[in-house]
Amino acid sequence: MNTTDTNPALNPAGTTDMTADSTSGNAGGATAPPRLEVTALSKTYGSGANAKCVIEDLTFTVNTGEVVCIVGPSGVGKTTLLKCLAGLQPATSGTAAIDGRTIAGPPPEMALVFQDYSRSLMPWLTVRKNVRLPLRHLHLPTQEMNQRIDTALEAVGLAHAANQYPWQLSGGMQQRVAIARALAYRPEILIMDEPFASVDAQTRFELEDLCLKIREDFGMTILVVTHDIDEAVYLSDRVVVLGSKPARVLDVIGIDLPAPRDQISTRSLPEFAEQRTTVLSMIRKPA
Amino acid sequence: MNRNLRQLLVSAGGIAAALALWQFIATGPMAGGPLPPVSATLAELAGLLADGGFWTALADTLVIALAGLAAAAVAGVVLGVLIGSFEPVRYATLAVLEFLKPIPPIVILPLVVLVFGPTTEMSWFLVFFGCVLPIIVQTVAGVHDADPVTLDTARSYGLGRTEILARVTLPSAMPFIGTAMRVSAPAALVITVVAGLLGGGPGLGRSIYQAQAGGDYPTLYAYVVVLGLLGLAFQGASQLAERRLLHWHASYREVLTP
Amino acid sequence: MNRKLINWGLGIGTPLLLVAAWWAVSQNSTNTFFPPLATILERFQALWLFDHFGSDVLLSLRNLALGYALATVIGVGLGFVTALVPVVRWALDPLIHFFRGIPPVALVPIFISLIGFGIEMRLVSIILAALFPTLIATVDGIRSVDPSLKDVSAVYRLTRTEKLAQVYLPAAGPQIAAGMQVSLQVAFIVMIASEMLGASQGIGAMTLLAQQSFMTSDMWAGILLLGVIGFGANMLFELAKNKVLAWYVGSRRLAKS
Ligand SMILES: Nc1ncnc2c1ncn2[C@@H]1O[C@H](COP(=O)(O)OP(=O)(O)OP(=O)(O)O)[C@@H](O)[C@H]1O
Ligand SMILES: [Mg+2]
Repeated sequence: MNTTDTNPALNPAGTTDMTADSTSGNAGGATAPPRLEVTALSKTYGSGANAKCVIEDLTFTVNTGEVVCIVGPSGVGKTTLLKCLAGLQPATSGTAAIDGRTIAGPPPEMALVFQDYSRSLMPWLTVRKNVRLPLRHLHLPTQEMNQRIDTALEAVGLAHAANQYPWQLSGGMQQRVAIARALAYRPEILIMDEPFASVDAQTRFELEDLCLKIREDFGMTILVVTHDIDEAVYLSDRVVVLGSKPARVLDVIGIDLPAPRDQISTRSLPEFAEQRTTVLSMIRKPA
Repeated sequence: MNRNLRQLLVSAGGIAAALALWQFIATGPMAGGPLPPVSATLAELAGLLADGGFWTALADTLVIALAGLAAAAVAGVVLGVLIGSFEPVRYATLAVLEFLKPIPPIVILPLVVLVFGPTTEMSWFLVFFGCVLPIIVQTVAGVHDADPVTLDTARSYGLGRTEILARVTLPSAMPFIGTAMRVSAPAALVITVVAGLLGGGPGLGRSIYQAQAGGDYPTLYAYVVVLGLLGLAFQGASQLAERRLLHWHASYREVLTP
Repeated sequence: MNRKLINWGLGIGTPLLLVAAWWAVSQNSTNTFFPPLATILERFQALWLFDHFGSDVLLSLRNLALGYALATVIGVGLGFVTALVPVVRWALDPLIHFFRGIPPVALVPIFISLIGFGIEMRLVSIILAALFPTLIATVDGIRSVDPSLKDVSAVYRLTRTEKLAQVYLPAAGPQIAAGMQVSLQVAFIVMIASEMLGASQGIGAMTLLAQQSFMTSDMWAGILLLGVIGFGANMLFELAKNKVLAWYVGSRRLAKS
């Protein structure tokens, strides 16, 4: 690798040509190093007779300020991949790196919204305190901390439920608490595992737009796993299609839709339908 | 594999270190005192195994504990079903049961000894008293927990009272009764020992008291070691029995982790 | 509504009725084992509220409270270390399980032989016997903390103290509380046993002494007091538990309905 130094991207790469470097990582070398770089990553659970290879030789990158969606069939290893990225599971071989630094433990600039949202909230803390928990050791001034919490809860539409306990809320509300917790943390890289799976369509649209807005506001780099192809196309700058077991990258599809995106006008563009078909056919294709 | 081996070694090391510490204190700083060396305790243990008196005491202990437990189980389930089946009776007994439940049998030991003297009956009664209350309370809870929909269904199919009891109520109360039995079995052993130790009833408890009163420390420690092993056996057996008998039950896991 | 009222009446009425029946039946009792309730209550008042309040009642209660508090602190602390440090767990596991098999009261003669009949013996007996239920429950509770919560703590880089105090402790809370409740029972039993086995002070000692000298009413008064303490201690614990673990009680209730 030619770029090992940790220099944050000089230009947010959100709108640069994405198809060019999609499969070959940063081999082009001309652009800034990718924010997140996965190189020949493999993950095997267990060892010996009951070893189970879940991910094999996975390579892709995410640039600063990009929104990238990962789609792929259930059980293919998406959650496992995210756990490797978040430093919760060690890779068996290959690397995942942020700004060229190999990820060995949970990186400070990252937050993860877990797929299993109901189990990822502390049942003994109210919604507000759940959101506050990760902020405590950041030693923010009280005022800023409170303001972050309020903003995050308002953004996901849960300001009214701040003093309730997670188990008093519906599944979709719990999921939004988990998202609010990640938002209040203000990570540079936000990773979400099927974050909008159990919210109603209306809220889903709002959360998708929220996702794009925080990218604009904070320059966040966002990686989302989703089952919803429309959502992937709507949100993404690029879509990484995973397929077969063990998981491999089938293709990385650049999404060329005009910014700013809008739930009604963007989705009714002919290009939207085209891109959607491309992704869909990629998924349907036997590996 | 490797890890298991290391774990085993550390565990063995822990036991060895504890024994070594015991031996060191007993032969070093406290030599000649009330703490017998490991070696003397083990020798005494071996001696006990060859001694008829020990086996009689052990048999007494087991018989009292198991007989008391069995009687408590029968009485507890019958009373529990009766109490649980009639709403007014359940309310009438609620406060009494709740008051008596947290009171351990050692509290009434002086009275029971006064009435029965230091006899088998005394120990037996104490075990019975100590085990029957939790079994009643759990059975009542189990009966009360029977799914009302299932009950209504059974009734609408014209099942009789006894049939409903046998087919619906009892099976649904089974996990509760199982839990009560799992807790009560080791308790029965403990109460038997208490009855012997403090009330002079026959069995290992009395042996321990005599060893302590007579200053026969190696024997005292040997008996305590025996009781430790016996306690483990009781706990293991009752857990195993519960799992064997109730593994089919859906709510079994629910009840286990209250 | 009416039905409910009747049930409540039954719940409160039956115990009162039982006590009244006891009073009436025993009123003219000449049976040495079962003296009149009136006499028992008289002796109760005379003994426990006046003569022996400072010397015995307070002494027993102080031993119980102090021993139990220390047992809890040590049990939870040791439980954390045992659960979180594998080497410690491997080394202690067999020992813990062996000690848990020993009936707690059987430890009392050993402590008598080691430290005599004094107050230290009673305190040490209570602490050591009451330690194990809390210790074992803490280990189990921490070992079964949901892995998702550990992942969350790791991703948000909670500090070690935060993890211990804000995640592990509350997550294991319900199980620790269950263990502590058993510990309270054990502490109470061992308090009585350690007094009965040769001490000359304390409620247990007084009660046994009364029995041995055939002062039946005094014995009954002792039993009554011990019963009230056993019930009261457990009730206080329940109240505290329901307050501290309100989230757990609430979530369970919701899950059931
Ligand atoms: N800790 C683990 N140990 C062993 N195998 C595991 C573990 N976690 C996941 N797996 C296995 O790895 C495979 C991929 O699981 P993973 O949760 O990553 O899939 P996924 O793509 O996220 O699926 P879904 O879309 O349903 O969430 C599955 O077959 C699963 O059984
Ligand atoms: Mg998943």
